[in-house]
Amino acid sequence: MKLLLVEDDTLLAETLQDALGLAGYSVGCLADGNEARERLAGRHDFALILLDLNLPGCSGLEVLATLRGHDADTPVLILTARGAIEDRVRGLDLGADDYLAKPFALDELEARVRALLRRRHPSGAHLQVGPLAFDGLAQRFTLDDEPLNLPPREQRLLGCLMRHAGEPIDKAQLAGEAFATDSVGDNAIEVYVHRLRRRLAGRGVELRTIRGLGYLLTES
Amino acid sequence: MKATDSLYRRLILWLLLPLLGLGALMLMQAYRSAHDAADRAFDRLLEAASLAIAEQVKWQDKQLWLDLPPAALEMLATDAEERVFYALYDNHGRFITGNADLPAVPGGADTLRFADTHWHGMTLRVGVRPARLDSWSQRERFEVRVAHTREGRDQLTWSLFTGSAGRIALMALLAIAVVLLAIRIALAPLTRLRRAIRHRDPRTLAPLDLPLPRELAELRETLNELLARMRRVRANQERFIGDASHQLRTPLAGLSARAELALRQPDPASWRSALETIQASSARTARLAVQLLSLTRLNNPEATPVTSMLDLVAVARNATRDAFAACHRAGIALELDAPDDAIPLTGIDWQLEEALNNLIDNARRYGARHITVRVQAAPPRLQVEDDGPGIPTERRRLMLRPFHRGAETGEGSGLGLAIVDSIARGHGARLTLDEGRHGPGLCVSMTFQGDRA
Repeated sequence: MKLLLVEDDTLLAETLQDALGLAGYSVGCLADGNEARERLAGRHDFALILLDLNLPGCSGLEVLATLRGHDADTPVLILTARGAIEDRVRGLDLGADDYLAKPFALDELEARVRALLRRRHPSGAHLQVGPLAFDGLAQRFTLDDEPLNLPPREQRLLGCLMRHAGEPIDKAQLAGEAFATDSVGDNAIEVYVHRLRRRLAGRGVELRTIRGLGYLLTES
Repeated sequence: MKATDSLYRRLILWLLLPLLGLGALMLMQAYRSAHDAADRAFDRLLEAASLAIAEQVKWQDKQLWLDLPPAALEMLATDAEERVFYALYDNHGRFITGNADLPAVPGGADTLRFADTHWHGMTLRVGVRPARLDSWSQRERFEVRVAHTREGRDQLTWSLFTGSAGRIALMALLAIAVVLLAIRIALAPLTRLRRAIRHRDPRTLAPLDLPLPRELAELRETLNELLARMRRVRANQERFIGDASHQLRTPLAGLSARAELALRQPDPASWRSALETIQASSARTARLAVQLLSLTRLNNPEATPVTSMLDLVAVARNATRDAFAACHRAGIALELDAPDDAIPLTGIDWQLEEALNNLIDNARRYGARHITVRVQAAPPRLQVEDDGPGIPTERRRLMLRPFHRGAETGEGSGLGLAIVDSIARGHGARLTLDEGRHGPGLCVSMTFQGDRA
């Protein structure tokens, strides 16, 4: 999968290129704001863009505006040294999908990249949480390499939880993403979660309730 | 203040406008008195001429008869070439003789009267003298009317007027000069003050020291008070920068030394341990830099961020969600305990999120296993409780100072609580540090003044 990294600090750019390369992505790298704007002004084949805000040439926010002018889909993860949440809000308003303040841990960056790609390509992707796997093409779950047969609603719910693996997701969000067209009440979701929990119990995957934040699918 | 507004201009306006008004009044007065003086002088001539004529009136052939001496009229004709008229009337107002039928002038019957009148398109000054023929045989009343045009009078009026107008103009010029000079002298201390301020080194905050009149001395004292406040602020900032530089230099020196030491050792195992130390230390240093920046921004008196209506529950949910991944990876349980309904509050959402991030981060760094973010409605309150080692009561106030760390061995920067304190003060909230609900640990609360909408 091709990613674009726009970052002017050589050390950080090389390190991220190596790290993401080891994680299996092919990473193109640009150091100049104007170059990045030209590259993204037309058609491109990047699956995700990592964008620094403080660039020589023109600012990352301008690059983002140019990209969003014709491409609303490609996920953009902003990397910046401007620490405050104030700037994050501005970036998100302009159409960025996520934000990471420097300094960040490589683990964190990789997790965010995975999450963004997962969210953007819900079908056709292969998802894995511990022993639980989802084959997007076949729309099939396996647990410890054995097929896991689920009723349709539980299947949709588990698919949604897997796309958000590692981050808590609340009932309203689950209902919106998993059952967009049907109206499913909070109680029904609790029932499906309860059933899924029973199916997964003791198999190395856990569906936890995080107080105040929602449900979290994680390896136990 | 408008760009065109100036003290100098105001003074000039308010001193010179009345002066000009006064000058105009004086000119009018001068014209009037010149006019009156000319009239008085020429009326004497009319009086003399009418008397000369009246003396020549005789009774002859049972009627009044006048033998006009030329001198009587000549005295009325000056070199201004006036036209001169005379006429004699009997006591019934009938025209007896003369060179024009002059109009009558109303008034007392026995006194000499003068009047300006229009007659056949000319402006005339008419003098009317009632008289009586006083002979032994006849006591006949009659009236002599004498008139001339105003050329001579106007000439005299004008020459009298120009004389005094010249003197008035001279006086006005003198007065203006004096006013300008007075303004300049009175405003001179202001100019001195301005020069003194302009010529100061912009970096110096020393008090202004120059003799000034009382009104400006008050201004100087106010300026000096402001400068004194700025000196205190700058001293504070310098101390902060000194601390910050020390705080940044120490870990950098450690990093450099650790790397140097590892390079001297041939054993790859020691490289690994050095790299691990270096990574931890550089992450800490970077976080310190971020915190220094946010503390500087929070304490900048020039920046007044826009407050808005926000929901305390949403703020807490955002901050908790942001911190969740890092806590989860570190094996720390993070929970949010909040009511379902929104809690409205006027504030700055990103600052409150930053405060919560710092509190969660602190709890994580100081060894908590379980962190609860709590939101309460009445009064509105944000709370972060952990089950870490806590802080002894006597040290809690000290924790709010920048660079004061709880455990000297801990890996915090000592800025987290200082940032939270700044944000709490900016929101008019009370910051309290207590023990955890269940035994040890720390519970930090920001209690807002209840401005529930």
